[in-house]
Amino acid sequence: MKFWKALASFVLLVCIYQRSYAQDFDLMKIVDDNQVKKKEYTFATFKSTRAVNLHTSEVLGRRALDFRIAHRFSALNTGAYNAWGIDGPVNIQLSLEYSYDGRLMFGLARSSQDKMVDVFLKYRLIRQTIDGKTPFSVTWFSGMYYNNTNLSAGGPSENMYANSTNRLSYVHQLIIARKFNSNFSFQISPTYVHYNIVNLTKENNDSYSMGFVTRIKYSKRAAIVLEYVLRLSTYSPATYYDSMGIGWEIETGGHVFSVHLTNSLAIAENEFIPYTNTSWSGGVNGGVRLGFNISRVFAL
Amino acid sequence: MKKIFLGLFLALTFAPAFSQIFIAETCTISMFSATKMENIDATNAVTKPVFNCSSGEIVFKVTNTSFKFKSQLMQDHFNENYMESEKFPYCTFKGKFNDKLDCSTNGGDLISVTGKLEVHGVEKDRTIDGTVKMKDGKMTVHSKFKVKLADHNIKVPSVVGTNIAEDIEITIDAVFIPYVKN
Repeated sequence: MKFWKALASFVLLVCIYQRSYAQDFDLMKIVDDNQVKKKEYTFATFKSTRAVNLHTSEVLGRRALDFRIAHRFSALNTGAYNAWGIDGPVNIQLSLEYSYDGRLMFGLARSSQDKMVDVFLKYRLIRQTIDGKTPFSVTWFSGMYYNNTNLSAGGPSENMYANSTNRLSYVHQLIIARKFNSNFSFQISPTYVHYNIVNLTKENNDSYSMGFVTRIKYSKRAAIVLEYVLRLSTYSPATYYDSMGIGWEIETGGHVFSVHLTNSLAIAENEFIPYTNTSWSGGVNGGVRLGFNISRVFAL
Repeated sequence: MKKIFLGLFLALTFAPAFSQIFIAETCTISMFSATKMENIDATNAVTKPVFNCSSGEIVFKVTNTSFKFKSQLMQDHFNENYMESEKFPYCTFKGKFNDKLDCSTNGGDLISVTGKLEVHGVEKDRTIDGTVKMKDGKMTVHSKFKVKLADHNIKVPSVVGTNIAEDIEITIDAVFIPYVKN
């Protein structure tokens, strides 16, 4: 009896011994358990640093230089003789923008309308992460604008620019954006505009508004962009309209092209946000125009 | 007698069962595309492949967004337009060494693995060659092979066709150490 007991124990022992060597290992599980967890930031919430006119939450990548041309034609309703606005008068903005670290960028721009020269800084405060722990991106924008128009003597605004600091105005925006998926991104940007001096005594130097941008990407390289600026404060007795634009954006290699329709002739933020004087709805002040933006990014 | 058997039984069932698993201590995966217009290269240093010395199985799982390019623009294009990293976050390789590995004695050898390489959601059977060097419990692996973009449904538009090569050269340099579960 003792012998059989011993044999049985021995056989059992051998079976268990064999079992521990024939164990299968789930290698993929070991790989997953040991993956290096690094914070990866959401990329390409928008294809460019601008939607139509509004700044998006995007800042240029590290060591990137962006050369931009923005062009706005005259209103379509100027008719066939004016080639529906192509003949002008037009507004062109040329700008050069740069980022060293991919987080802070600065730019220098000049618009032909009002000979507006501006410099701006844009900084990515919070960046959305792919794992969802940070659900949105927050970018700060600050721009300083200098109206370089020569004023004719005797005009009503001759004294307006008696000091050169009177020519300055500022725009500050807090841009909050979220990339919902590879096809849809949405952004809001509360905005504050300040003019050092305004034309009419009843006009307010400060105005507040809310920008909205929606981007719908329908193919790998093309998207539809919609933007709207809702003015929140009453700052002038004169009639102005909310700026709205709809654009088609296409990207090839280092270029992003966008062709759009907008009611604003102005491109500089200090002008199109508070002082758009043509509306989308028809009537005497109706004026929607074609425009395009070209962005060429160089990796330095 | 009983005590001896019990002792042996316990010792054998709780014997270190993970001794044949190796995990990468360091692993650098780089990709290189050479054309007349420009060269593109990127490096991924965070992958941790694992292999089983006795069964010969090896597994790689590479996170696409961990490839670092010197230009942010190139990195964004890689993830957004070519790899489509939101749809396909990983590239994987699951294969087996074609010859039995000797993980206990020092020495170098030529090796080859056969398995399935999945890139951009498309799996392809591949046999990849390389070299291994075993020294004092650490195994250094080096391999160079090409991945054809067309094999994995990665489309390059004709506009940028002269800037991106059809075959991308992949180089893997890894040092494996025995895996200890913590």
